[in-house]
Amino acid sequence: MQRFSHYQEEYYPSPLMHVWIEFRRSHIALIGFILLLSFFTIALIGPLLAPFDPDLQNTNAILLPPAWEPNGTVVHILGTDGLGRDVLSRLLYASQITFGSSLLVVIVAVVVGVSLGAIAGLLSGVKSSVVNHLFDSIMSIPTLLIAIIIVAILGTGLVNSMLAITLALIPQFVHQTRTFVKSELQKEYVLLDKLDGARPLQIFTHSILPGMVELIVVQASLALSIAIIDISALGFLNLGAQSNFIELGQMLSQSLDVAYVATWLVALPGFFILLMVLSVNIVGEGLRSALRNRLSH
Amino acid sequence: MIKLSIRYINLIVLTVFVLLVFSFFLPYLFPGDLLTNITGITPETQQQREALEIAFKLDKSIFHQFVFYIENLFSGNWGVSTATQQSLKTEVALFFPATIELVVYALLFSILVGIPLGFIGGLRHHKGFDFPIVTFSIVGYSFPVFWIALIFITVFCLQLNWLPTSGRLDLLYDLPSVTGFVLIDIALSDIEDKSAAYKDAFRHLILPTLAVSVVTTALFARFVRRSIMDVMEKSYIIAAKSRGFSPWQIFLKHGFKNALIPILPILALQVSTLITNVMIVETIFSWPGIGKWLIEAIYQHDYPAIRIGMLAVSIVVMILTISTEFLTRAIDPTREKVEHATF
Repeated sequence: MQRFSHYQEEYYPSPLMHVWIEFRRSHIALIGFILLLSFFTIALIGPLLAPFDPDLQNTNAILLPPAWEPNGTVVHILGTDGLGRDVLSRLLYASQITFGSSLLVVIVAVVVGVSLGAIAGLLSGVKSSVVNHLFDSIMSIPTLLIAIIIVAILGTGLVNSMLAITLALIPQFVHQTRTFVKSELQKEYVLLDKLDGARPLQIFTHSILPGMVELIVVQASLALSIAIIDISALGFLNLGAQSNFIELGQMLSQSLDVAYVATWLVALPGFFILLMVLSVNIVGEGLRSALRNRLSH
Repeated sequence: MIKLSIRYINLIVLTVFVLLVFSFFLPYLFPGDLLTNITGITPETQQQREALEIAFKLDKSIFHQFVFYIENLFSGNWGVSTATQQSLKTEVALFFPATIELVVYALLFSILVGIPLGFIGGLRHHKGFDFPIVTFSIVGYSFPVFWIALIFITVFCLQLNWLPTSGRLDLLYDLPSVTGFVLIDIALSDIEDKSAAYKDAFRHLILPTLAVSVVTTALFARFVRRSIMDVMEKSYIIAAKSRGFSPWQIFLKHGFKNALIPILPILALQVSTLITNVMIVETIFSWPGIGKWLIEAIYQHDYPAIRIGMLAVSIVVMILTISTEFLTRAIDPTREKVEHATF
């Protein structure tokens, strides 16, 4: 029988579709994806889901254990804290802040990092070498140290800790973009663009960037997990979110005083951070192997 | 080789210079009195203030101040802490070794456990033992380090009462700080019952080391697993197989070394994450290291301490990172291109 189509299938999926087909083959990756989506939902509409006002102090129910304990009630499913505030509502508000601010941090870091990396990659010579030097030296400074310096200069607060983490995350995107752009510039499709008279910026946005998006998404998933851990770590050390925001790490450090009697107050916020980071990592890992499989098929 | 060494020394010098310039300008950025931020001394009278300004060359130009700052740093005159009025040099020398000690043990643990795990997982990938290893590597990497430290304290210290919660050594032992490393100091000291002292030091060490190691071990296992999987698919492995070598011979002769080469630069990058984690764990276990010291400096607005601490930690981390990178370049003949310090 004669074939007229180049492809064996009637319908040939787009690259994005291909990634999704590979991605959903792994059940664990799918579970991680659903978990991640639910954290997205919490970040968007978390306060609407909360049964109580997170600052409402119910003095009749102080340090109430979660519902599965013998003394727990169904009214406060995850119990209450030392001031009688509903833990579930606080966790929802805190997850919103932690996840939302981490997401924001990563988006800013990606935009700034990729543009700086593109500039460093497109420029050659002394200028790019100076940029590289600066970023390599920043890259070697531990995140917490950058955060300590920023907090020392600007004072504690959620926005300042976000700024510190953004600064710490930018170099890796710069590094990766620069190496990618440099290697792509040697290839022939870029030469074709040059012959067509494209300017460096046009070459970057039209030819190089589309091929780089997947790489950036994978790197961003890694950065997101780091951002969540760092924001909560700074909150835990009282250098990040102060009491005007509820944040998971800060919630954890506030409940340390009652940790002897109320272990769930330490366990639950940490568990939420773990779930959040785990879902991001599983999705990132799934994406990475999906991309690898797509390329190898 | 000489060319490579010169390039890397050049890189170290340049980066140290950038860090020095940055740390020089820090006191200008910090809130509060510039004079106190630089000297660590709060002047009480106007005359004292003027005397200090002249002594620290604040009346001269920025360039003079910078030269003065560098001279002071190299002559070991690092200024005093605002909070304790102690010399910062002695404080850093006291606290930094404790951090390095924790970093070294955590790194050793992660290498000794993580790398074999990665090899087992990678060689038997998608079979039996691989699943628990992959699960551990992803879950372990996702653990927030402060939470795992708290869990350890709750379980092993508060509920089981097996291990101490804080410090480096029991107060019974009056240990003079010679090198700053507990285990070496015990050997040098004249404590009568050294084995008991060692036992006590180990009991204090276990939990902080484990808490820091979980993340790093998981990371190493993951990278090594990936790396050995990639290497075992290479054509030289297939060639070795076709010549009739046993799997064990192939692994030892070809797989092992080639899989470790890409690990080294990743290891270098992890040093900075490791130090961040160690600094957090220090505050939880009251480990008298530089992280705890720096965070306390923040609470007390001790700006001279933050400046010197930041400089010390970042220079050490940077030199470690660059020398590991240099080592990788020197070992690995396939990597000819030099990305750094090229003009």
